[in-house]
Amino acid sequence: MPGANDGHPRDSGDRPGGTAPTGQPRDSRNAPLAARLHGVSRSFGRVVALNDVDFELRPGEIHGLLGENGAGKTTLARVMAGLLAPDRGRVEIGGRALEGGGARTARELGVAMVHQHFSLVPRFTGFENVLLFNGGGWTRRGRLRRGFRERVEARAAELGLAVELDLPVEELGMVERQRVEILKALAGPTRVLILDEPTTVLAPQEVSGLFAVLARVARAGTGVVLVAHKLDEVLAAADRMTVLRGGARVLTRPRGDATEAGLVAAMVGRGGVGDGGRVTRKRPDGAPADRAEAGDAVADGGGGDQANPPVAELRRVTAGDPEGERIVDLSLEVRRGEIVGIAGVGGNGQRTLAAVLAGVRKPVRGEVRIPREVGWIPQDRVEEGLVGDFTVAENVAFALHGSADFRNGPWLDWKRVGRTAAEMVAGMEVRGGGAGDRAGRLSGGNQQKVVAGRELLRSRILLVAESPARGLDVRATAQLRGRIARLARDGPGPPGIVLVSTDLDEILELADRILVMVRGRLLPLPPHGRHPDAIGHLMLAATTSSPTPPPTPTP
Amino acid sequence: MCLFLAALGCDADSDSAADSAAPAVALLTSGPVSDAGWHAGAYEGLQLIGDSLGFRTSHQQTRTPAEFDEAFLAYAQSGYGLIFGHGFEYQDAASRAAELHPEVTFVVSSGSRSGPNLVPIVFGLHEASYLAGMAAGAITRSGTVGMVGGVEIPSARGTFIAFAAGVRATRPDAAVLETFIGSWDDVSAAKEAAAAQLRQGADALIHNVDAASFGFFQAVREARARGGEAWAFGMNRDQNDVAPDVIVGSAVINIPGIFLETARDWRAGTLGGPMLTGLAGGSVDFVPNPARSGVIPAASLVRIDEARAAIVEGRLEVPRIDFLEPAAGDPPSS
Amino acid sequence: MTPPSLSAALRRWPLLRPATALLATAAVTAALLALGGHHPGAVFATLIRGAFGTWDRFLSGTLLRATPLLLTGLAVAVAFRARVLNIGAEGQLHAGALAGVAVAVLLPGATGLVLLPATLLAAALAGALWAAVPAAMKTAMGVGEVITTLLMNFVALYLAQFLVQGPLQEARGVFNQTDEIPAAAHLPPLFPGTRLHLGFLIGLGLAFALWLYLTRTPGGFRMRAVGASVRAAEVSGRFRALPVIWMTFLASGIVAGLAGWIQVAGVTRRMYEGLSPGWGYTAIAVALLARLHPLWVIPAAILFGALSAGGGAMQREAGVPEVWVRGIEALVILAVLAVDQTARARADGGGRD
Repeated sequence: MPGANDGHPRDSGDRPGGTAPTGQPRDSRNAPLAARLHGVSRSFGRVVALNDVDFELRPGEIHGLLGENGAGKTTLARVMAGLLAPDRGRVEIGGRALEGGGARTARELGVAMVHQHFSLVPRFTGFENVLLFNGGGWTRRGRLRRGFRERVEARAAELGLAVELDLPVEELGMVERQRVEILKALAGPTRVLILDEPTTVLAPQEVSGLFAVLARVARAGTGVVLVAHKLDEVLAAADRMTVLRGGARVLTRPRGDATEAGLVAAMVGRGGVGDGGRVTRKRPDGAPADRAEAGDAVADGGGGDQANPPVAELRRVTAGDPEGERIVDLSLEVRRGEIVGIAGVGGNGQRTLAAVLAGVRKPVRGEVRIPREVGWIPQDRVEEGLVGDFTVAENVAFALHGSADFRNGPWLDWKRVGRTAAEMVAGMEVRGGGAGDRAGRLSGGNQQKVVAGRELLRSRILLVAESPARGLDVRATAQLRGRIARLARDGPGPPGIVLVSTDLDEILELADRILVMVRGRLLPLPPHGRHPDAIGHLMLAATTSSPTPPPTPTP
Repeated sequence: MCLFLAALGCDADSDSAADSAAPAVALLTSGPVSDAGWHAGAYEGLQLIGDSLGFRTSHQQTRTPAEFDEAFLAYAQSGYGLIFGHGFEYQDAASRAAELHPEVTFVVSSGSRSGPNLVPIVFGLHEASYLAGMAAGAITRSGTVGMVGGVEIPSARGTFIAFAAGVRATRPDAAVLETFIGSWDDVSAAKEAAAAQLRQGADALIHNVDAASFGFFQAVREARARGGEAWAFGMNRDQNDVAPDVIVGSAVINIPGIFLETARDWRAGTLGGPMLTGLAGGSVDFVPNPARSGVIPAASLVRIDEARAAIVEGRLEVPRIDFLEPAAGDPPSS
Repeated sequence: MTPPSLSAALRRWPLLRPATALLATAAVTAALLALGGHHPGAVFATLIRGAFGTWDRFLSGTLLRATPLLLTGLAVAVAFRARVLNIGAEGQLHAGALAGVAVAVLLPGATGLVLLPATLLAAALAGALWAAVPAAMKTAMGVGEVITTLLMNFVALYLAQFLVQGPLQEARGVFNQTDEIPAAAHLPPLFPGTRLHLGFLIGLGLAFALWLYLTRTPGGFRMRAVGASVRAAEVSGRFRALPVIWMTFLASGIVAGLAGWIQVAGVTRRMYEGLSPGWGYTAIAVALLARLHPLWVIPAAILFGALSAGGGAMQREAGVPEVWVRGIEALVILAVLAVDQTARARADGGGRD
């Protein structure tokens, strides 16, 4: 067993490629565990986030950590990374106790974590961010160690990570930021790599790329913890999986013994999911059956329907950053009752399109007609969708503060806002806090429910939803998608909906018509192209090969 | 609140000066008494009063006018009979306090207003500056002399007017440069101002910049080190030993002595109207530096002595800025 | 686990940390005082007595000294709430004082009914004008307000220096100060026999008004939202941040401008160089201690006022030199901040998933 676990990770010094024990057989049972948690409990005030949890991570395995929003996944990950001290219980990394917590100790023992919300310095370049986290990049006298840059690049190549190292991180898209984050974590010797919901920002093709990277990392002997709530992804990538529910460990299974149904039952704990919850994905060739009828009239959009004039109309609009994310000469019509799905790899202009539709971004050229009030579930919930220091009610007030219905003379009617927020909290099944609690205390998934719930309040005419189910668990995803589908169908004057998503399943499930966004332009699907492979091909082919997108024929 | 603080001794003023038999005197300064100048002189005077007359003493450094009023009143309420406010900035607050506390005497250094229990001290420093100016006129070769001041207040301008008059009394064609740096403690500004005057040819310089004078002397010292022939004069205190290599003499006020005299008069009940001080009482003077005794020609020293006698006897009037208000002009009740 | 670590002990006894901070400060201060030949207990008693010992000391000392800090503290708190880093309260204060004095001196015959509102209005406008320059530079050119507001302080100080030596100098032309303002422009005392004036009440009123505005009105909500995140405000709130930032600058400048004139009309009765010993800067500490909450600015300003008044008593009655007094004040403020910070850290739990 060459170079097994005899060496402390620090011993391999500044070697960026120094993934701790190399050549370790994947299922070696007698080697020390990469990480072991024994009887770990942790509470926040009265909320018990982890209750007497045991957890084992073997070297060289990818271990999926599953659970609903608020089940304790992130807390477990943070305890393992030394970022939170457990109230009770023991944490061992590579056989050594992580006493008194301490992220620094954990780091020295070889634990690295990629957070759900990246911890990068926005103004630093990718390389500077890598350097910041890796003391090995510096000489004792504070100079850049010679050859470190080359080693980082070599490491990136070895892992198959195409990383832009010389641009400030703030100019990168989510996918590239994640790559920087992963490289940052893996540039030093790493025994345990924890990824907290890494797939939420990725398109399907990008997810498989990430998993390929993780497989290479694991093969080199690192134990990988993959926190996720998308079952199919975990089933595809993980060697073993553990399910948490309500802060307790419910089961741990190797991949061979796990079924989707069994995992869902373990996660939800009540024998399945409610109405609208589809666990087995369908691969429809057209709109879902129950949508076909309503969809018929508007399926082709832009067809000059006299009875249903468009609620939003973009005519040859150019907007956004000329150097980066933008839309070019783009035309789009959205009518009441239709869901327009915008597929595409992240960073092709979706953010600009959404901002223009919401009225937040003014076009450089072209004509924009949009309703006065637009619901917009933005892509970046932490930066744009929520204020963590505000209460849930205050976050809901973002949608209400301008409305006369919520005024009382010069005053904002907080009682009414609070009631509306409480109704939203109940309706969206936000867990972990009520209308009066700080939004920042909610888990990521529950924060997303707050954003979605608020934006549904202002969606009487038009809703722009960017990856609305991002970060939600199976049940919540199903519920939210059901709600969006019903929104477009129900009532005498349903709103028009623009669904921007990198998740093809989501688009295929909900959208009446699908357009693919490539380099700031919208491409229609070819006939009979309503299929993930065809869409994916359009998305990627256009991204990677053709320098100019094909002309946009009117449908 | 009193209940809450009873443990800490809420009967705040029971142990105050009023209880003891000895009279009590207090001093307010608006700067640190460690300045080796204006404020230090006052603090020495306070201690001199305590040592010589057996008075109880107390001092407070105040920064804002709100504190001026508060400190005057707090001292008055605590039984202090004589309170010095050391600087014209105390005038308004002292006037208000004098009105409220007729039993207490308030003395304002460089003050402008008199009342039954309100006494300004007028420092005759201009008379000593005049003599220093005569010495400067005698030793300048270039015919240009310099004056570096702090904040442009009347007392500072007054010393410079008198200094210039003294220069012209010995050398009528002399050019006189004047700079105010706007601060009493900016050492580097004082140094730059002096250096600028030296570059313009000044070779006899006087200052009135209080604590910033270290920079002033340094500029003259450096000019001499470069081979220039330049001399400096000290001000306020006898600074001859501060920079014995460059100072030929100092215009001196004996602030402690004046304070002591004021306190004596107050105890005797003879204090009233402005305290006028000058060469006559010996509380200000021009003191040549014994370490540089050859610099001022002997003939000039004789003429300076003659001028001193003339001023004391009233035969010679030195130009001055009179900032005393007419005594009747400001009854406290107006 | 092996012997309980310090962090474990702190987790078990949450009050340990603030208590330690307080005790450590008290011990350091007492040791310093003892070294200087003072009796620590007596000195502390004097400090408390000087600030709170009698009604007159509390009103004419503590609260009077707190008044300019209350007003400038509010100005800073409001600005910081919207993340407008206004370091220029000092300059806005001087601008307000100059404008108020100019109006009072130029309208000598006017009655109080005219003069009081006219001078307050002039001071508010001048403060707003002083804040408008950095506001324009920030919103139009993107120049950071920290540097511009700071530089505007110097402009105000030199302008004040020029005016009291020149156009606004007292009629006698001797001292660098303005004439006394007419009695009609004085802010009347709140209680007969004390020096506490109407300005303190104005400060309290503004604190309540700003609190109501920030928490109960749509405009205040927008201000807080911009302070929390400009992008969240624009994306989630769908309103533009620039007008809100402008509003904030002006509001902050108005309050700071009032602070200057209120000090003149209530205490000094004339304007001169060096009116403020740096209230506009101390205000930043006051506002931060109050966590930028307008109502908490009141006790924070009173704390600073009490330390200052008690410090005067320490000099007068215990003979502690001024530099020591300032040092002790600073230590007490540090202790309060440490206690406050640990209490806050305890109140915040952590995230959970």
